[in-house]
Amino acid sequence: MKIDPSIRSQMILPNRVPSKNPVSKTVFYLLLSVFAVLFAMPLYVMIVTSLKSMDEIRMGHIFALPITPSFDAWDMAWNKAASGFDNAGLKSGFWNSVIILIPSLAMSVAFSSVCGYALACWNVKMGNFLLMALLVCAFIPFQVIMYPLIKMSVAVKLYNTSFGVSVVHTVLALPILTMIFKNYFASIPEELIKASRVDGGRFWGTFVYVVLPLSPNIMIVVAIMQITGIWNDFLVGLTFGNVKAYPMTVNLNNITQTQTGVRVYNVYMAAAMLTAIPPLLIYFFSGKMFIRGITAGALKG
Amino acid sequence: MAKVKGTSFVHRHAASLAVVPVMLIALVFYFGSAVWSMVMSMTASKIFPDMTFVGMKQYIRLFSDALWALSLSNLGWYALGSLGSLVLGFFLAVMLESNLAGERFFKTVFLYPMAVSLIITGLVWQWLFNPSMGLQQFFRDLGLQDFDFNLVGKKETVMWALVIASIWQSTGFYMVLSSAGIKGIDSEVWAASRIDGISKLRMYIEVIIPMMKFTFLTSFVLLSIGAVKAYDIIVAMTNGGPGGHSELPSYYIVDMYVNRQNIGMGAAGSTILLALVLGFILLFAAINLLSKKKE
Repeated sequence: MKIDPSIRSQMILPNRVPSKNPVSKTVFYLLLSVFAVLFAMPLYVMIVTSLKSMDEIRMGHIFALPITPSFDAWDMAWNKAASGFDNAGLKSGFWNSVIILIPSLAMSVAFSSVCGYALACWNVKMGNFLLMALLVCAFIPFQVIMYPLIKMSVAVKLYNTSFGVSVVHTVLALPILTMIFKNYFASIPEELIKASRVDGGRFWGTFVYVVLPLSPNIMIVVAIMQITGIWNDFLVGLTFGNVKAYPMTVNLNNITQTQTGVRVYNVYMAAAMLTAIPPLLIYFFSGKMFIRGITAGALKG
Repeated sequence: MAKVKGTSFVHRHAASLAVVPVMLIALVFYFGSAVWSMVMSMTASKIFPDMTFVGMKQYIRLFSDALWALSLSNLGWYALGSLGSLVLGFFLAVMLESNLAGERFFKTVFLYPMAVSLIITGLVWQWLFNPSMGLQQFFRDLGLQDFDFNLVGKKETVMWALVIASIWQSTGFYMVLSSAGIKGIDSEVWAASRIDGISKLRMYIEVIIPMMKFTFLTSFVLLSIGAVKAYDIIVAMTNGGPGGHSELPSYYIVDMYVNRQNIGMGAAGSTILLALVLGFILLFAAINLLSKKKE
């Protein structure tokens, strides 16, 4: 169907049809607001609960603002909460998470970007076969490979160490990250790669001087994906770490499931907030990059 | 490739060598481990690997365990219930894609649960469902004396609690996928509908939703695989209880390996899980193939 360009510009841009009907617009706003309140509610409850005393919590007004807000529960959660092993709170878990995160981020990005670049810009024998295999790997549930991986990590003495947890995170991230990098690098104009080869640039030279300078965006997207993913992981940290190497999420779960005495929900909520703050900060400040990460991870198969 | 001066084997094959680490990892850690699980599932292994071949015995034992059967039916309900996040996500996307101001604000609110660990999701919803201090008490204080919202504590309703928490967690994700699908529709389709005076509702039902069927199918596959993998949320919210009524196969398998120390049955369970996921991947591949043909 051909439309006269002058009409077209009036009618079609903006791409979406503006809702002319004020009634439907009002209804939409109303519904969206209701859902926004419902979605924000758990975060609100977490924050207000963490600022209350247990006496106040027992009164049962879950949505009420704290009468005398205090950060005692936060202090307790960070410094003193019992985790079943010690009474040292979350802070050791926080540092364990950082220690786990840095090497796994570096290793996963290094291996997957180089492999994705080789697959996208060079002729690699059986490259398509490898991509198919990686697609399957990306979907294999961790439980399927968990036990053999434990045996292997025991054999190389990485079991129960934070570096072992980092290695497992790297292994788990490689399939999806390699596919994401491959798709991104494939969109780099071929002429650039060819020109670099003519100039004598070989595999690594082209990667460092041509490809990497064109890729800051994808690097940021992948970094956001990996940081939030690894920070939020529980199962890998639980099965491959130990008391000295448990990440923050495992530490948090241990604190909340320590069944001695009363359940102190203000401390639990403070601990949950402390664990949630790093990824939430990344989320709120990165905006579109975060969205690109989760959709790239899901759809570029 | 022309021989460049001074090239060694490493230089000439740099690209092929660069994929070796990832290829080895895929081969050893993924395929090797998967094959290992399949082999172990047909042996008499218990606490220690034991290579005595027992055929399908472990599978027979697995399926005669009432808890495994329960975990499979729980998985079915969980996946079905989680479809709610797809439906809700699509409706939110439709509303947001009609040029409303504040689109970014709403998207930020609907998506933030995705940024948070599932351990936290489980914990906060466990707190909200607390019968004496949580939502139930709040509604009773409002005068609804018989309001019953103790979903976590009862075996009939515990899966509902997990479904609600999981919808809260993942709706934003399906909203983003739906938004991308709606944005991907050619603007001329909309223009044509306006010229013909078709209402927006009819437009969605008769044109847009059918056009987005690949988006929906992809979402459905991702959602199903997500349900098969679900683990953290159970640990934080219910620990499988009460009485195993919120156990999923993924939880059952970890429990089998780690606590009950039965390698044979754990491996049999993981093999079933693998088969489930491979089924979904085949479906996914078929969808991709179909959508590429259409283009």
